[in-house]
Amino acid sequence: MKEKLDRLTENIDFALLFAVVFLCFYGLLVLFSSTRLAATGESDPYFFVKRQSLWALLGFIFLTIIIFIDYHNLERYSKVIYFGAIVLLIMVIISGRSTYGARRWLAIGPFDFQPSEFAKIALIMFLADFLSKNKLKFDNFLYYLLPFIYTGILIILVFMQPDLGTSLVYLAILIIMLFVAGIKIKYLVFTILAGLSSVPVLWIFLRDYQKNRFILFLNPNLDPLGGGYNVIQSRIAIGSGGFLGNGIFSGLQSQLNFLPAQHTDFIFSVVGEELGFVGTILLLGLYAIILWRGIKIALEARDLLGSLLATGVVSFLFFHIVVNIGMAMGMLPATGLPLPFLSYGGSFMISNLIVIGILLNVELHKVKW
Amino acid sequence: MRESSTVPEDVKQRLNWLLIFMVICFLILVISLWYLQMIKGEEFKERAVGNCIRTLVEDAPRGRIYDRQEELLVTNRPAVVVSIIPAEVDDLEKLSERLSKIIGISPEEISQIVKNYRENPFKPVKILDDCNTNKTVEIEERKDELKGVVLEVKPRRDYLYHDFAAHSLGYVGEIDKEELQRFGNPKYQGGDIIGKAGLEKYYDAILRGEKGGKEVEVDALGQEIATLLYQKPVPGKDLILTIDRDLQLCGENLLFDKKGSIVVSDPNSGEILALVNRPSFNPNLFANGISSSDWQRLSFDTDYPLTNRSVQGLYSPGSIFKVVTAAAALEEGVTNRKRKIYCSGTFELAGRVFNCSKETGHGSLSIVDAITHSCNIYFYTLGKDLGIERFNKYMQKYGLGEKTGIDLPAEAIGTIPSAQWKEREIKEIWFPGDTINLSIGQGYLLLTPLLVHSLITTIAAEGEVYKLHLVKKIISADGNTVEEIKPEIHKKVNFSSDTFKIIKEGLRQTILKGTGWRANIQELAVAGKTGTAQNPQGETHAWFIGFAPYENPEVCITVFIENGGEGGVAAAPIARAMLEKYFNIKN
Repeated sequence: MKEKLDRLTENIDFALLFAVVFLCFYGLLVLFSSTRLAATGESDPYFFVKRQSLWALLGFIFLTIIIFIDYHNLERYSKVIYFGAIVLLIMVIISGRSTYGARRWLAIGPFDFQPSEFAKIALIMFLADFLSKNKLKFDNFLYYLLPFIYTGILIILVFMQPDLGTSLVYLAILIIMLFVAGIKIKYLVFTILAGLSSVPVLWIFLRDYQKNRFILFLNPNLDPLGGGYNVIQSRIAIGSGGFLGNGIFSGLQSQLNFLPAQHTDFIFSVVGEELGFVGTILLLGLYAIILWRGIKIALEARDLLGSLLATGVVSFLFFHIVVNIGMAMGMLPATGLPLPFLSYGGSFMISNLIVIGILLNVELHKVKW
Repeated sequence: MRESSTVPEDVKQRLNWLLIFMVICFLILVISLWYLQMIKGEEFKERAVGNCIRTLVEDAPRGRIYDRQEELLVTNRPAVVVSIIPAEVDDLEKLSERLSKIIGISPEEISQIVKNYRENPFKPVKILDDCNTNKTVEIEERKDELKGVVLEVKPRRDYLYHDFAAHSLGYVGEIDKEELQRFGNPKYQGGDIIGKAGLEKYYDAILRGEKGGKEVEVDALGQEIATLLYQKPVPGKDLILTIDRDLQLCGENLLFDKKGSIVVSDPNSGEILALVNRPSFNPNLFANGISSSDWQRLSFDTDYPLTNRSVQGLYSPGSIFKVVTAAAALEEGVTNRKRKIYCSGTFELAGRVFNCSKETGHGSLSIVDAITHSCNIYFYTLGKDLGIERFNKYMQKYGLGEKTGIDLPAEAIGTIPSAQWKEREIKEIWFPGDTINLSIGQGYLLLTPLLVHSLITTIAAEGEVYKLHLVKKIISADGNTVEEIKPEIHKKVNFSSDTFKIIKEGLRQTILKGTGWRANIQELAVAGKTGTAQNPQGETHAWFIGFAPYENPEVCITVFIENGGEGGVAAAPIARAMLEKYFNIKN
């Protein structure tokens, strides 16, 4: 054990760990600012912060446990975890708790748990295992097709909740991992073109509110007090922050409840308004550190499996960050994806820290112990 | 020891491509942020500060209420609200002084209201509600020197006939904290006007509609320059009541200086034609936010004008309850059409003496005679023979132990005594004398006038009881969709038709030659029963229940006068007047 601890302190990526811890505290500060006056009927101004802190703590416990188990051993269970995720997602569709017309949660005791978050981890582990074992067989069309089927099952299950945003995350993880695993570019391009040409067909399966989001993305002023309201108010909030921001706790839009979902999907707007350009760039910088260290870990990994695990984690975080911030600035449609380490939400917070645990794990085990 | 990595070279190359892709994405984000925050920052800041953009909520007009002939009863009128937007005020003291001269509220009070409000500095703070035209014009003329003052026109509830049917219509008021938490959905927000009592409360979700709003561009004086966004409010739906305005007004006048209730309904549908409660109050007082002096006056008045007597008041029913005793005895075979009982004027049980209303006694009576003359001795005997167990069963069968289900909030349920009830509530055993008292509607028994009314509807309709209700139709504001409220069977009371016939005969005879003669109308066959209920509060309560015409009942009536004296003297003439009004008979 002592030897393990020594190796830990010797080899752990402190820059990565520092960025993650800093982000968590940064997130709690912004969360407090946006929820202390929240008109949710909660009289305790610390209600959201307390819960989020608890989840972060839980997440760090998971992270610590994961670091110590060599990822090669973890990977033995990737199939079990993958099938477990499928079972949980089916349970959500059958008996999940619904909000805003979507079923996304399973109740476990007093807590609500979102299986689609944990399915992201399951997918990363399963694909890393499959792709690293079968790298040389991808010229065979059948082998090329299999990862699409494995991912497709999860996508369909999540899409039925319906949760368009999360199914796009699965797709992004798949495509980036395939790309890194060395799939021929022409295969990928061909697949993406085929996918795009089927969009009109998929359109039929979109729920009305999802269609609305795309239409409103194209012109938010169509329904300014309804669906387009978020994006307009969010842009005003971010823009009004200027260089230094209005100061924490003093964003007009954030504090006056102009911003809906300001502690979940639109928390970036609060950062933008209250902490200004300095605050948003600091945030992007912290994310950049995590992603850069992630790529570095993938490059230096002991084997392809480790490399692909790290790639999966990087692609997951990267997609969330870019889509969320792009959405808050009105550059991308509002798909309802939360911002890693900042958005309020237990399942998401814990799954963020678990994937960081996986990243650190790959880093620590780049040499044999 | 370090082993060399086995990650293939092509994978490393792809990873570098991925890194480049991510760097590009981040650069795009940074440039966009630069543009949004650094270049357009000032512009957005202005918009956010609200100097030029303001979000105004537009309340949906609340649905109107009509009587059954579609005569308007409750509507909305525009009311001007004078408010101050704290963020736009330069010098509060000066402004308060200027405004004070126009609206007549002291400058200290005005600045205090503004200072006490600390939520959103861009949200108008209400200073004066329902400002009159003269003051409105003056404020409008002087708006240049009143920077920060805004005039908002808001729909205000207007009860056209003031205290008319006030308990049924109810009133509206600003949502309070508790209600906000209870409803807890985005449709309800602080400051909303919601139904607080009566139909306004019961049908609030239908009447209120959906709020709209607009985002407007305003200049430095707060004048609207342009509407940027607009969402139309969805007006609330209108209610068409079963109440007949003229009949209701007639009842209100008859009870004008009395305490009590009148219920008139159609036994064939359960539609309530009149529901009078006196004394009453003016719901318009609540529409502007009731003043504390008005509130004190209403809530401490010992005549309880705010109480909906017919739905919430519990009273001893007295002799009208004999229709229950009669039904129980007939159904259980304790008596029949032929059984005669001799009334000597007194009745003895276990050493206690109970008296009849006629001291010298009625002589030998059949059940029809006993109802006609309201002979107590006959019913004491029936009560004694029945026993409380069987008696209680029939009170339940009549539905006295449950609500009538009327579409009004907070309906009270009666006190229906039984041996178990007495042991539980009073911790005493049931004495045979209690049954004797109960058999003439005295003792522990307490009913609302509405439950008493359900007795007469049950008899008139011979057991097929429709649910009492006040709303006939619900109509959307544009009049396009109409939802008819269908008559609904509330319960079936399965007494033999003979039981109903005998009781009805007794009720008819009561009017022709018995205690109810003051309700007799030459042109109309009325049937009914009087009641004079002793009560601990003082003078007896006067009751009358009845229906007409005798052969094919079209209408049932209950009259209750609190401490009104004798039923036959105080209540029967009022029933007569109401029936004459309904059947359009001139006397």
